[in-house]
Amino acid sequence: MRIAIPMLAVAAAFGQTSFEDIKKGPGANWLTYSGDYRATRHSPLAQIDKTNVSRLVPKWTYHMETGRRLETTPLVVDGVMYVTNNNELHALDARDGRRVWSFADEDVPVKKVNRGAAVLGERLFFVTSDAHLIALNRNTGAVLWKKKFADFSKGYSATLAPMALKDSVIVGVSGGDGGIRGYVAAMSPSTGEELWRLYTVPKKGEPGAESWAEFNTEWGGGGTWMSGSYDPDLNLIYWTTGNPWPDYNGPVRRGDNLYTCAVLAIDAATGKMRWYFQFTPHDTHDWDAQSMPVLVDLPYGGKPRKLLLHPNRNGFFYVLDRVTGEYLRATPFVDNLTWTKGIDAKGRPFENPAAEPTTAGVKVCPSIRGASNWMSPSFNPATGLFYVPALEQCEIYMTSKTIPEAGKGFSGGGGDKPPLEPGRFYLRAIDPKTGKRVWEYPMPGPTIAWAGTLSTAGGVVFFGDDDGHLAAVDAATGKHLWHYQMGQQIFASPMTYLVDGKQYVTIASQTDLFTFGLFEPVKPLDPVKESTR
Amino acid sequence: MKRAALIAAMTAGAALSQNPAFDPEAARAGSKTYAAACAGCHGSTGEGGRGPNLADNRVVRRRTDAELAATILRGVQGSDMPPFPIGEERARQVAAFVRSMSAPAIDSPNPGDPVNGRAVFEGKGGCSGCHAVAGRGGSLGPDLTNAGSSKSYKYLRESLLRPNARIASGFQGVEVTLKDGRKVSGIARNVSNYSIQVTGRDGAIHRLDAGGIREAVYRKTSYMPADYESRLSKPEVDDVLAYLSRQSLRSAE
Repeated sequence: MRIAIPMLAVAAAFGQTSFEDIKKGPGANWLTYSGDYRATRHSPLAQIDKTNVSRLVPKWTYHMETGRRLETTPLVVDGVMYVTNNNELHALDARDGRRVWSFADEDVPVKKVNRGAAVLGERLFFVTSDAHLIALNRNTGAVLWKKKFADFSKGYSATLAPMALKDSVIVGVSGGDGGIRGYVAAMSPSTGEELWRLYTVPKKGEPGAESWAEFNTEWGGGGTWMSGSYDPDLNLIYWTTGNPWPDYNGPVRRGDNLYTCAVLAIDAATGKMRWYFQFTPHDTHDWDAQSMPVLVDLPYGGKPRKLLLHPNRNGFFYVLDRVTGEYLRATPFVDNLTWTKGIDAKGRPFENPAAEPTTAGVKVCPSIRGASNWMSPSFNPATGLFYVPALEQCEIYMTSKTIPEAGKGFSGGGGDKPPLEPGRFYLRAIDPKTGKRVWEYPMPGPTIAWAGTLSTAGGVVFFGDDDGHLAAVDAATGKHLWHYQMGQQIFASPMTYLVDGKQYVTIASQTDLFTFGLFEPVKPLDPVKESTR
Repeated sequence: MKRAALIAAMTAGAALSQNPAFDPEAARAGSKTYAAACAGCHGSTGEGGRGPNLADNRVVRRRTDAELAATILRGVQGSDMPPFPIGEERARQVAAFVRSMSAPAIDSPNPGDPVNGRAVFEGKGGCSGCHAVAGRGGSLGPDLTNAGSSKSYKYLRESLLRPNARIASGFQGVEVTLKDGRKVSGIARNVSNYSIQVTGRDGAIHRLDAGGIREAVYRKTSYMPADYESRLSKPEVDDVLAYLSRQSLRSAE
């Protein structure tokens, strides 16, 4: 039997996800890591709201056989869910979690975590741990191409969800704790060819290189290991950068160490840097800037402004003008903050040599993990509030006198928790218009979670807490509404979608994907009448 | 992966492989020791039983010969696998045989002309009507872009010549009649008492609720034609297998 090829041309008309679809933001579908380009992680779905969320029940669980620490946020396209783990991608029926197909690249020599996929047209894109980008047909799981975008043998790896724009797929690299030179790259969605590359650390002689003194900037770090956000009107990509290398060994790299611990505004067409803002010049505490840059339009100082909101590991919640990069305000979102006395009018922290790591160790707050990290914050336009998991924690920071050598796993020091001070997570709501904290919800737990938030038009904030619960609180007040114990810790952020008229909420635990919906009685079913011919 | 990369992969062939191909002579010698000492738990063709499956086993693929031999000699602590003190030489031979059962096609001897194999695959054989390689071809059958790395030579050969011996998991043909009279036919990617997910002949995913299904009729045989042994010459079969054996994501640059 032969199957005629022309039939396949028809197939291409199905399931196209356009740039315009992604621009609209989430609805029934969830089309980017954060749901939308602006990384607000807010859904307009309101079927589950604060009056009925107490009736939320588990609907299905998908066991990821290779899962040990899932950090992924799934996508949902027309009732099909796409979920990643390291070097694999599974397509599930979003109603019941049954697997439609799965793809695994078993020859990848390493398994890092993976945070998710991107979709454009009828293609899915995801990265392998050894920094290749793979394109799959979203209906069949067939491989279209695989392209290397960074050299694993030189210390690069990849963990992020790529970001698909109109005619490019944006990727970044991990490895900044081992001496690499970070970059953001745009790849062609049709062939995987690299369209442009922007390094986050200048070469000798380039502008910014003077901020490294004599240090070899080929090892400067500045990883780009989280997906970014995008403003389609400005055609600007906002991508954050990681720590300078070696992490804790400041004296060998005197200067501000541009463009590490910063957010870069990148022209999506050319890959040129439009502006940058460095949160932590000359970082010595491993404070990558990898919390998502959240793009919102709000009145500020009496006029409407295009803002960028960012809770940094260094403990400050920043508000920038995302057109110009102008610094507007920084306010502490944790109480345990000792590394600087404050931020000056231009956004630069006051220097504090006493906070530098020493060989004996010095107590500084926040901790290495930071006041918040890559777990997603969210923003609800109705309440006007920004929701962020905040970690009150300090660290004894130590530095090593060993001569740094790239590619050997050397980070120049480390840290320990002060005895009897484990710290504590809080979910905090911040008003970006004032920088003030409006409410907080404490999370007793072992302070080992990396779980983020989801905001919905139902007036609910969903978040993974520090003790293995998916929980829901009132977006306006922070009042507890619902929780569910997953039996394991959470290292991922929740998302929501609608299929066949029903809203669901999904979050990955360490080994499984849990999906919740409103309770409804199950109708008895007869087994399907089947025969074989 | 571009065409150029694919062609480069074809000409470079097994030289690209990360794991050394097994030594056929050692494997032959090792097969005798295996039959006497290992088959009881691991099965005579490595299908497993009391012990794990050793055929098409990814863990085996990742191990070096020295590691496999060491496992045979020392056993696996905390498991039922005892030490087999049979000496380095024989342990190496058994390791080679075990590797031969798991080796992907790209690491196995695959005689034939891959360039002609591609011509047959896309032409006379009509294979690309249902199977895609790097985005070129149909979707009714499994994607073969990574066939050389993910399947053994034996598996590929059997699938080509005796497609009904085993239908790849998730590729059974089905025609579903819904209660509203509509029909969906294609590949049943997943079947349960409560839902069936079908990749339709239209190339789209159909999520079918059991409550909406009147009847599901499964194909007993594969969609794959069962007459390639007569339709293709022996050298053409070898050529197609040589072509497929070289399809691998390892070569992506």
